[in-house]
Amino acid sequence: MSTFVAVLWKDLLCEWRNHERLSAMVVFSLLLVVIFHFALPESSAPASRTYAPGLLWAAYVFAALLGHNRAFAAELENDALSGLALAPVDRGWIFLGKAAANFLVLAAVQFLTAAAFALAFELELAAHALPFAGIAALGALGLSCLGTLFAAVAVRTRFRDVLLPLLLFPLAIPLLAAAVHATAAILAGRGVPPASLHLLLVVDAVYAIVSFLSFEYVLDE
Amino acid sequence: MTAPSPTLPLRRTLRICGALLLALAAAFAFCVWRAPEDATQGVIQKIFYLHVPLAFSAYLGFFLTALFGALFLWRGDERSDRLAAAAAEVGVLFCSLVLITGPIWAKGTWGRFWSWDARLTLTLLLWLIYVGYLLLRSFAEGGDRAARFAAVYGIAGIAVIPLNYFAIELSRGSLHPENLERGSLGAGMGLPFALGVVTSLVCFLFLLCLRIQVTALRRAEEQRLYASDA
Repeated sequence: MSTFVAVLWKDLLCEWRNHERLSAMVVFSLLLVVIFHFALPESSAPASRTYAPGLLWAAYVFAALLGHNRAFAAELENDALSGLALAPVDRGWIFLGKAAANFLVLAAVQFLTAAAFALAFELELAAHALPFAGIAALGALGLSCLGTLFAAVAVRTRFRDVLLPLLLFPLAIPLLAAAVHATAAILAGRGVPPASLHLLLVVDAVYAIVSFLSFEYVLDE
Repeated sequence: MTAPSPTLPLRRTLRICGALLLALAAAFAFCVWRAPEDATQGVIQKIFYLHVPLAFSAYLGFFLTALFGALFLWRGDERSDRLAAAAAEVGVLFCSLVLITGPIWAKGTWGRFWSWDARLTLTLLLWLIYVGYLLLRSFAEGGDRAARFAAVYGIAGIAVIPLNYFAIELSRGSLHPENLERGSLGAGMGLPFALGVVTSLVCFLFLLCLRIQVTALRRAEEQRLYASDA
Protein backbone atom coordinates (compact mmCIF):
# COMPACT_ATOMS: atom_id res chain seq x y z
CA MET A 1 0.00 0.00 0.00
CA SER A 2 2.81 2.43 0.87
CA THR A 3 4.40 1.49 -2.47
CA PHE A 4 1.22 2.56 -4.21
CA VAL A 5 1.20 5.94 -2.44
CA ALA A 6 4.93 6.47 -3.02
CA VAL A 7 4.76 5.80 -6.77
CA LEU A 8 1.58 7.84 -7.17
CA TRP A 9 3.05 10.75 -5.19
CA LYS A 10 6.32 10.68 -7.14
CA ASP A 11 4.53 10.69 -10.51
CA LEU A 12 2.17 13.49 -9.53
CA LEU A 13 5.01 15.55 -8.08
CA CYS A 14 7.03 15.16 -11.32
CA GLU A 15 3.94 16.14 -13.27
CA TRP A 16 3.34 19.14 -11.02
CA ARG A 17 6.91 20.35 -11.36
CA ASN A 18 7.30 20.25 -15.12
CA HIS A 19 3.72 20.05 -16.52
CA GLU A 20 5.22 18.55 -19.70
CA ARG A 21 2.85 15.67 -20.17
CA LEU A 22 -0.28 17.51 -19.10
CA SER A 23 0.33 20.55 -21.28
CA ALA A 24 1.17 18.39 -24.30
CA MET A 25 -2.03 16.37 -23.84
CA VAL A 26 -4.22 19.46 -23.38
CA VAL A 27 -2.81 21.28 -26.42
CA PHE A 28 -3.14 18.08 -28.43
CA SER A 29 -6.83 17.69 -27.49
CA LEU A 30 -7.54 21.31 -28.36
CA LEU A 31 -5.92 20.74 -31.74
CA LEU A 32 -8.16 17.73 -32.20
CA VAL A 33 -11.22 19.88 -31.53
CA VAL A 34 -10.08 22.24 -34.30
CA ILE A 35 -9.35 19.32 -36.66
CA PHE A 36 -12.75 17.76 -36.00
CA HIS A 37 -14.38 21.11 -36.72
CA PHE A 38 -12.77 21.19 -40.16
CA ALA A 39 -13.21 17.46 -40.77
CA LEU A 40 -16.98 17.61 -40.34
CA PRO A 41 -19.05 19.00 -43.15
CA GLU A 42 -20.73 22.24 -42.19
CA SER A 43 -23.74 21.20 -40.25
CA SER A 44 -26.20 22.48 -37.75
CA ALA A 45 -25.89 21.97 -34.02
CA PRO A 46 -28.26 18.96 -33.82
CA ALA A 47 -26.27 17.13 -36.51
CA SER A 48 -22.89 17.78 -34.93
CA ARG A 49 -24.39 16.63 -31.63
CA THR A 50 -24.80 13.13 -33.07
CA TYR A 51 -21.09 12.94 -33.95
CA ALA A 52 -19.84 14.67 -30.82
CA PRO A 53 -19.85 11.66 -28.40
CA GLY A 54 -17.75 9.57 -30.76
CA LEU A 55 -15.36 12.41 -31.55
CA LEU A 56 -15.02 13.30 -27.90
CA TRP A 57 -14.02 9.76 -27.02
CA ALA A 58 -11.69 9.55 -30.00
CA ALA A 59 -9.99 12.67 -28.62
CA TYR A 60 -9.78 11.05 -25.17
CA VAL A 61 -8.20 7.90 -26.57
CA PHE A 62 -5.64 9.86 -28.61
CA ALA A 63 -4.79 12.09 -25.64
CA ALA A 64 -4.47 9.04 -23.38
CA LEU A 65 -2.14 7.46 -25.92
CA LEU A 66 0.04 10.55 -26.01
CA GLY A 67 0.23 10.66 -22.22
CA HIS A 68 0.84 6.94 -21.73
CA ASN A 69 3.64 6.96 -24.27
CA ARG A 70 5.50 9.27 -21.88
CA ALA A 71 4.46 7.43 -18.72
CA PHE A 72 7.51 5.19 -18.66
CA ALA A 73 9.78 7.25 -20.88
CA ALA A 74 10.90 9.33 -17.89
CA GLU A 75 11.75 6.11 -16.02
CA LEU A 76 14.29 5.17 -18.70
CA GLU A 77 16.53 8.09 -17.66
CA ASN A 78 19.22 7.02 -15.22
CA ASP A 79 17.80 3.51 -15.53
CA ALA A 80 15.07 4.32 -13.02
CA LEU A 81 12.89 1.57 -14.49
CA SER A 82 15.41 -1.05 -13.39
CA GLY A 83 15.37 0.55 -9.96
CA LEU A 84 11.61 0.16 -9.83
CA ALA A 85 11.84 -3.44 -10.99
CA LEU A 86 14.51 -4.25 -8.39
CA ALA A 87 12.56 -2.69 -5.51
CA PRO A 88 11.66 -5.43 -3.02
CA VAL A 89 7.93 -4.77 -3.24
CA ASP A 90 4.97 -6.32 -5.01
CA ARG A 91 5.04 -5.07 -8.59
CA GLY A 92 1.26 -4.97 -8.66
CA TRP A 93 1.36 -1.99 -6.31
CA ILE A 94 3.88 -0.22 -8.54
CA PHE A 95 1.46 -0.78 -11.38
CA LEU A 96 -1.46 0.62 -9.39
CA GLY A 97 0.56 3.72 -8.46
CA LYS A 98 1.54 4.40 -12.06
CA ALA A 99 -1.99 3.69 -13.32
CA ALA A 100 -3.54 5.98 -10.68
CA ALA A 101 -1.19 8.83 -11.66
CA ASN A 102 -2.04 8.28 -15.34
CA PHE A 103 -5.72 8.21 -14.45
CA LEU A 104 -5.56 11.55 -12.64
CA VAL A 105 -3.64 13.23 -15.46
CA LEU A 106 -6.07 11.81 -18.02
CA ALA A 107 -9.07 12.94 -15.95
CA ALA A 108 -7.74 16.50 -15.89
CA VAL A 109 -7.28 16.42 -19.66
CA GLN A 110 -10.76 14.94 -20.09
CA PHE A 111 -12.29 17.79 -18.10
CA LEU A 112 -10.62 20.49 -20.20
CA THR A 113 -11.34 18.69 -23.48
CA ALA A 114 -15.00 18.26 -22.55
CA ALA A 115 -15.24 21.99 -21.87
CA ALA A 116 -13.69 22.77 -25.26
CA PHE A 117 -16.05 20.30 -26.97
CA ALA A 118 -19.08 21.78 -25.23
CA LEU A 119 -18.15 25.23 -26.51
CA ALA A 120 -17.19 24.16 -30.02
CA PHE A 121 -20.09 21.77 -30.68
CA GLU A 122 -22.75 23.50 -28.57
CA LEU A 123 -23.16 20.50 -26.27
CA GLU A 124 -25.21 20.78 -23.10
CA LEU A 125 -22.63 18.97 -21.00
CA ALA A 126 -23.05 21.22 -17.96
CA ALA A 127 -26.66 20.11 -17.58
CA HIS A 128 -25.58 16.44 -17.45
CA ALA A 129 -22.25 17.01 -15.72
CA LEU A 130 -22.61 14.33 -13.05
CA PRO A 131 -23.55 11.27 -15.12
CA PHE A 132 -21.10 12.32 -17.83
CA ALA A 133 -18.28 12.71 -15.31
CA GLY A 134 -19.05 9.22 -14.00
CA ILE A 135 -18.88 7.66 -17.48
CA ALA A 136 -15.73 9.64 -18.33
CA ALA A 137 -14.08 8.43 -15.12
CA LEU A 138 -15.02 4.79 -15.83
CA GLY A 139 -13.62 5.11 -19.34
CA ALA A 140 -10.45 6.75 -18.09
CA LEU A 141 -10.02 3.99 -15.52
CA GLY A 142 -9.97 1.25 -18.15
CA LEU A 143 -7.79 3.28 -20.50
CA SER A 144 -5.28 3.98 -17.72
CA CYS A 145 -5.05 0.31 -16.71
CA LEU A 146 -4.52 -0.91 -20.28
CA GLY A 147 -2.34 2.04 -21.22
CA THR A 148 -0.05 1.69 -18.22
CA LEU A 149 0.43 -2.04 -18.76
CA PHE A 150 1.19 -1.77 -22.47
CA ALA A 151 3.23 1.43 -22.10
CA ALA A 152 5.50 -0.64 -19.85
CA VAL A 153 5.65 -3.25 -22.62
CA ALA A 154 6.16 -0.80 -25.49
CA VAL A 155 8.86 1.22 -23.73
CA ARG A 156 11.14 -1.83 -23.77
CA THR A 157 10.79 -2.45 -27.52
CA ARG A 158 12.02 -0.86 -30.71
CA PHE A 159 9.63 1.70 -32.27
CA ARG A 160 7.98 2.14 -28.89
CA ASP A 161 5.83 5.12 -29.89
CA VAL A 162 4.52 3.21 -32.88
CA LEU A 163 3.81 0.00 -31.04
CA LEU A 164 1.66 1.36 -28.21
CA PRO A 165 -1.36 2.35 -30.36
CA LEU A 166 -1.14 -0.96 -32.24
CA LEU A 167 -1.36 -2.80 -28.93
CA LEU A 168 -3.80 -0.49 -27.18
CA PHE A 169 -6.44 0.35 -29.79
CA PRO A 170 -7.79 -3.14 -30.56
CA LEU A 171 -8.18 -3.83 -26.84
CA ALA A 172 -9.76 -0.44 -26.14
CA ILE A 173 -12.69 -1.06 -28.52
CA PRO A 174 -15.20 -2.43 -25.95
CA LEU A 175 -14.40 0.44 -23.62
CA LEU A 176 -14.82 2.97 -26.38
CA ALA A 177 -18.06 1.45 -27.68
CA ALA A 178 -19.66 1.40 -24.23
CA ALA A 179 -18.49 4.92 -23.34
CA VAL A 180 -19.68 6.42 -26.64
CA HIS A 181 -23.03 4.66 -26.30
CA ALA A 182 -23.49 5.98 -22.76
CA THR A 183 -22.33 9.51 -23.62
CA ALA A 184 -24.72 9.71 -26.57
CA ALA A 185 -27.63 8.62 -24.35
CA ILE A 186 -26.69 11.15 -21.65
CA LEU A 187 -26.45 14.00 -24.15
CA ALA A 188 -29.84 13.03 -25.59
CA GLY A 189 -31.29 13.36 -22.09
CA ARG A 190 -32.04 9.65 -21.75
CA GLY A 191 -29.82 9.08 -18.73
CA VAL A 192 -27.17 6.38 -18.40
CA PRO A 193 -28.25 3.18 -20.20
CA PRO A 194 -27.74 0.21 -17.84
CA ALA A 195 -26.33 -2.00 -20.63
CA SER A 196 -23.40 0.29 -21.39
CA LEU A 197 -22.82 1.06 -17.69
CA HIS A 198 -22.58 -2.65 -16.89
CA LEU A 199 -20.27 -3.25 -19.84
CA LEU A 200 -18.02 -0.39 -18.73
CA LEU A 201 -17.88 -1.78 -15.19
CA VAL A 202 -17.08 -5.30 -16.40
CA VAL A 203 -14.45 -4.07 -18.88
CA ASP A 204 -12.80 -1.96 -16.17
CA ALA A 205 -12.78 -4.89 -13.76
CA VAL A 206 -11.33 -7.30 -16.36
CA TYR A 207 -8.63 -4.84 -17.46
CA ALA A 208 -7.72 -3.88 -13.90
CA ILE A 209 -7.36 -7.52 -12.82
CA VAL A 210 -5.48 -8.65 -15.95
CA SER A 211 -3.11 -5.66 -15.79
CA PHE A 212 -2.53 -5.97 -12.04
CA LEU A 213 -1.68 -9.66 -12.33
CA SER A 214 0.43 -9.48 -15.48
CA PHE A 215 2.50 -6.41 -14.59
CA GLU A 216 4.71 -8.83 -12.67
CA TYR A 217 5.84 -10.33 -16.01
CA VAL A 218 6.14 -7.03 -17.85
CA LEU A 219 8.44 -5.13 -15.54
CA ASP A 220 11.94 -6.58 -15.60
CA GLU A 221 15.42 -5.50 -14.67
CA MET B 1 34.04 -29.78 -42.24
CA THR B 2 30.30 -29.73 -42.25
CA ALA B 3 28.50 -29.94 -38.96
CA PRO B 4 26.10 -32.87 -38.55
CA SER B 5 22.63 -31.79 -39.52
CA PRO B 6 20.47 -31.35 -36.45
CA THR B 7 17.73 -33.86 -35.85
CA LEU B 8 14.50 -32.20 -36.72
CA PRO B 9 11.60 -32.49 -34.32
CA LEU B 10 8.16 -33.56 -35.52
CA ARG B 11 9.59 -35.11 -38.67
CA ARG B 12 7.20 -38.02 -38.60
CA THR B 13 4.19 -35.93 -37.63
CA LEU B 14 4.86 -33.64 -40.55
CA ARG B 15 5.13 -36.51 -42.99
CA ILE B 16 1.89 -38.10 -41.78
CA CYS B 17 0.07 -34.74 -41.72
CA GLY B 18 1.31 -33.90 -45.20
CA ALA B 19 0.10 -37.16 -46.69
CA LEU B 20 -3.21 -36.91 -44.87
CA LEU B 21 -3.61 -33.32 -46.01
CA LEU B 22 -3.13 -34.23 -49.67
CA ALA B 23 -5.73 -36.98 -49.49
CA LEU B 24 -8.17 -34.83 -47.53
CA ALA B 25 -7.78 -31.83 -49.82
CA ALA B 26 -8.55 -33.99 -52.86
CA ALA B 27 -11.60 -35.53 -51.18
CA PHE B 28 -12.74 -32.12 -49.98
CA ALA B 29 -12.46 -30.56 -53.44
CA PHE B 30 -14.40 -33.46 -54.95
CA CYS B 31 -17.15 -33.24 -52.30
CA VAL B 32 -17.53 -29.49 -52.69
CA TRP B 33 -17.77 -29.91 -56.45
CA ARG B 34 -20.46 -32.59 -56.06
CA ALA B 35 -22.37 -30.77 -53.31
CA PRO B 36 -25.78 -29.42 -54.30
CA GLU B 37 -26.08 -25.75 -55.09
CA ASP B 38 -27.90 -23.62 -52.57
CA ALA B 39 -31.47 -22.84 -53.69
CA THR B 40 -31.28 -19.12 -52.95
CA GLN B 41 -27.59 -18.20 -52.94
CA GLY B 42 -26.43 -20.31 -55.89
CA VAL B 43 -22.86 -21.43 -56.43
CA ILE B 44 -21.35 -18.65 -54.28
CA GLN B 45 -22.62 -20.47 -51.18
CA LYS B 46 -19.93 -23.14 -51.74
CA ILE B 47 -17.34 -20.77 -50.34
CA PHE B 48 -19.00 -21.57 -47.02
CA TYR B 49 -17.23 -24.97 -47.00
CA LEU B 50 -13.92 -23.10 -46.93
CA HIS B 51 -14.84 -19.97 -44.99
CA VAL B 52 -16.31 -21.51 -41.83
CA PRO B 53 -13.72 -24.31 -41.35
CA LEU B 54 -10.94 -21.73 -41.81
CA ALA B 55 -12.58 -19.60 -39.13
CA PHE B 56 -12.68 -22.58 -36.74
CA SER B 57 -8.94 -23.15 -37.22
CA ALA B 58 -8.16 -19.45 -36.83
CA TYR B 59 -10.03 -19.31 -33.51
CA LEU B 60 -8.25 -22.48 -32.43
CA GLY B 61 -4.92 -20.81 -33.24
CA PHE B 62 -5.71 -17.76 -31.11
CA PHE B 63 -6.96 -19.91 -28.27
CA LEU B 64 -3.76 -22.00 -28.38
CA THR B 65 -1.68 -18.80 -28.42
CA ALA B 66 -3.28 -17.65 -25.17
CA LEU B 67 -3.15 -21.13 -23.63
CA PHE B 68 0.55 -21.70 -24.37
CA GLY B 69 1.29 -18.09 -23.40
CA ALA B 70 -0.25 -18.73 -20.00
CA LEU B 71 1.68 -22.01 -19.73
CA PHE B 72 4.88 -20.13 -20.55
CA LEU B 73 4.25 -17.54 -17.85
CA TRP B 74 3.47 -20.31 -15.41
CA ARG B 75 6.32 -22.72 -16.12
CA GLY B 76 8.76 -20.55 -18.07
CA ASP B 77 9.56 -23.29 -20.60
CA GLU B 78 10.71 -22.32 -24.05
CA ARG B 79 8.62 -24.98 -25.77
CA SER B 80 5.33 -23.38 -24.74
CA ASP B 81 6.55 -20.05 -26.07
CA ARG B 82 7.54 -21.59 -29.41
CA LEU B 83 4.12 -23.24 -29.66
CA ALA B 84 2.35 -19.97 -28.81
CA ALA B 85 4.31 -18.06 -31.45
CA ALA B 86 3.65 -20.72 -34.10
CA ALA B 87 -0.06 -20.90 -33.24
CA ALA B 88 -0.37 -17.10 -33.51
CA GLU B 89 1.31 -17.01 -36.90
CA VAL B 90 -0.79 -19.81 -38.36
CA GLY B 91 -3.89 -18.34 -36.69
CA VAL B 92 -3.30 -14.95 -38.31
CA LEU B 93 -2.79 -16.65 -41.69
CA PHE B 94 -6.09 -18.54 -41.37
CA CYS B 95 -7.88 -15.46 -40.08
CA SER B 96 -6.59 -13.46 -43.06
CA LEU B 97 -8.07 -16.11 -45.36
CA VAL B 98 -11.36 -15.88 -43.46
CA LEU B 99 -11.36 -12.11 -43.95
CA ILE B 100 -10.71 -12.60 -47.67
CA THR B 101 -13.26 -15.37 -48.32
CA GLY B 102 -15.90 -13.65 -46.15
CA PRO B 103 -16.29 -10.49 -48.25
CA ILE B 104 -16.36 -12.53 -51.47
CA TRP B 105 -19.28 -14.53 -50.10
CA ALA B 106 -20.87 -11.35 -48.71
CA LYS B 107 -20.74 -9.59 -52.07
CA GLY B 108 -22.51 -12.55 -53.64
CA THR B 109 -25.29 -12.80 -51.05
CA TRP B 110 -25.67 -9.47 -49.22
CA GLY B 111 -24.62 -7.38 -52.22
CA ARG B 112 -21.75 -5.64 -50.45
CA PHE B 113 -18.25 -6.64 -49.41
CA TRP B 114 -18.39 -5.53 -45.81
CA SER B 115 -20.93 -4.83 -43.13
CA TRP B 116 -20.27 -4.06 -39.47
CA ASP B 117 -22.04 -7.21 -38.43
CA ALA B 118 -21.18 -8.78 -35.07
CA ARG B 119 -19.15 -11.74 -36.28
CA LEU B 120 -17.33 -9.79 -38.98
CA THR B 121 -16.34 -7.06 -36.58
CA LEU B 122 -15.32 -9.59 -33.93
CA THR B 123 -13.13 -11.49 -36.40
CA LEU B 124 -11.57 -8.28 -37.71
CA LEU B 125 -10.75 -7.15 -34.17
CA LEU B 126 -9.26 -10.55 -33.33
CA TRP B 127 -7.14 -10.37 -36.47
CA LEU B 128 -5.93 -6.89 -35.51
CA ILE B 129 -5.10 -8.02 -31.99
CA TYR B 130 -3.03 -10.97 -33.16
CA VAL B 131 -1.32 -8.98 -35.92
CA GLY B 132 -0.36 -6.64 -33.06
CA TYR B 133 0.86 -9.72 -31.19
CA LEU B 134 3.15 -10.68 -34.08
CA LEU B 135 4.43 -7.09 -34.36
CA LEU B 136 5.12 -7.06 -30.63
CA ARG B 137 7.12 -10.26 -30.97
CA SER B 138 9.22 -8.82 -33.77
CA PHE B 139 9.75 -5.42 -32.09
CA ALA B 140 10.62 -6.76 -28.65
CA GLU B 141 14.29 -7.50 -28.15
CA GLY B 142 15.60 -10.41 -26.18
CA GLY B 143 14.03 -13.85 -26.39
CA ASP B 144 12.73 -14.15 -22.86
CA ARG B 145 11.40 -10.62 -22.69
CA ALA B 146 9.66 -10.88 -26.06
CA ALA B 147 8.10 -14.15 -24.93
CA ARG B 148 6.78 -12.66 -21.69
CA PHE B 149 5.40 -9.54 -23.37
CA ALA B 150 3.76 -11.61 -26.09
CA ALA B 151 2.24 -14.03 -23.57
CA VAL B 152 0.62 -11.17 -21.65
CA TYR B 153 -0.77 -9.66 -24.84
CA GLY B 154 -2.00 -13.01 -26.12
CA ILE B 155 -3.93 -13.62 -22.91
CA ALA B 156 -5.41 -10.10 -22.96
CA GLY B 157 -6.43 -10.73 -26.58
CA ILE B 158 -8.53 -13.74 -25.58
CA ALA B 159 -9.97 -12.00 -22.51
CA VAL B 160 -11.29 -9.21 -24.70
CA ILE B 161 -13.38 -11.48 -27.00
CA PRO B 162 -16.55 -11.60 -24.85
CA LEU B 163 -16.19 -7.88 -24.07
CA ASN B 164 -15.98 -7.08 -27.76
CA TYR B 165 -19.00 -9.26 -28.38
CA PHE B 166 -21.11 -7.31 -25.89
CA ALA B 167 -19.74 -4.00 -27.21
CA ILE B 168 -20.88 -4.88 -30.74
CA GLU B 169 -24.22 -6.19 -29.49
CA LEU B 170 -24.76 -2.83 -27.81
CA SER B 171 -25.38 -1.16 -31.11
CA ARG B 172 -25.95 -3.72 -33.85
CA GLY B 173 -27.63 -6.99 -34.72
CA SER B 174 -26.38 -9.86 -36.87
CA LEU B 175 -26.70 -10.57 -40.58
CA HIS B 176 -25.22 -14.03 -40.35
CA PRO B 177 -27.35 -17.03 -41.18
CA GLU B 178 -28.39 -18.73 -37.97
CA ASN B 179 -28.99 -22.18 -39.46
CA LEU B 180 -25.65 -23.47 -38.19
CA GLU B 181 -26.74 -23.03 -34.60
CA ARG B 182 -29.85 -25.04 -35.33
CA GLY B 183 -27.81 -27.69 -37.09
CA SER B 184 -29.97 -27.73 -40.22
CA LEU B 185 -27.62 -27.79 -43.18
CA GLY B 186 -29.35 -28.73 -46.41
CA ALA B 187 -29.22 -32.33 -47.64
CA GLY B 188 -25.79 -33.20 -49.09
CA MET B 189 -24.10 -30.23 -47.45
CA GLY B 190 -23.05 -31.92 -44.20
CA LEU B 191 -20.31 -34.14 -45.67
CA PRO B 192 -18.35 -31.42 -47.54
CA PHE B 193 -18.64 -29.18 -44.49
CA ALA B 194 -17.37 -31.87 -42.12
CA LEU B 195 -14.55 -32.70 -44.55
CA GLY B 196 -13.73 -29.00 -44.73
CA VAL B 197 -13.43 -28.78 -40.96
CA VAL B 198 -11.16 -31.84 -40.79
CA THR B 199 -9.02 -30.67 -43.73
CA SER B 200 -8.64 -27.23 -42.25
CA LEU B 201 -7.64 -28.65 -38.86
CA VAL B 202 -5.08 -31.01 -40.42
CA CYS B 203 -3.73 -28.12 -42.50
CA PHE B 204 -3.48 -26.05 -39.31
CA LEU B 205 -1.58 -28.84 -37.55
CA PHE B 206 0.73 -29.29 -40.54
CA LEU B 207 1.64 -25.60 -40.71
CA LEU B 208 2.02 -25.46 -36.93
CA CYS B 209 4.51 -28.33 -36.97
CA LEU B 210 6.33 -26.78 -39.92
CA ARG B 211 6.63 -23.47 -38.08
CA ILE B 212 7.94 -25.16 -34.95
CA GLN B 213 10.47 -27.03 -37.07
CA VAL B 214 11.66 -23.78 -38.67
CA THR B 215 12.16 -22.25 -35.21
CA ALA B 216 14.09 -25.32 -34.08
CA LEU B 217 16.30 -25.18 -37.20
CA ARG B 218 16.97 -21.48 -36.66
CA ARG B 219 17.90 -22.10 -33.06
CA ALA B 220 20.21 -24.96 -33.99
CA GLU B 221 21.87 -22.77 -36.60
CA GLU B 222 22.35 -19.95 -34.12
CA GLN B 223 23.90 -22.35 -31.65
CA ARG B 224 26.20 -23.73 -34.33
CA LEU B 225 27.36 -20.23 -35.29
CA TYR B 226 27.82 -19.36 -31.65
CA ALA B 227 29.88 -22.52 -31.10
CA SER B 228 32.09 -21.86 -34.14
CA ASP B 229 32.69 -18.28 -32.91
CA ALA B 230 33.72 -19.49 -29.49
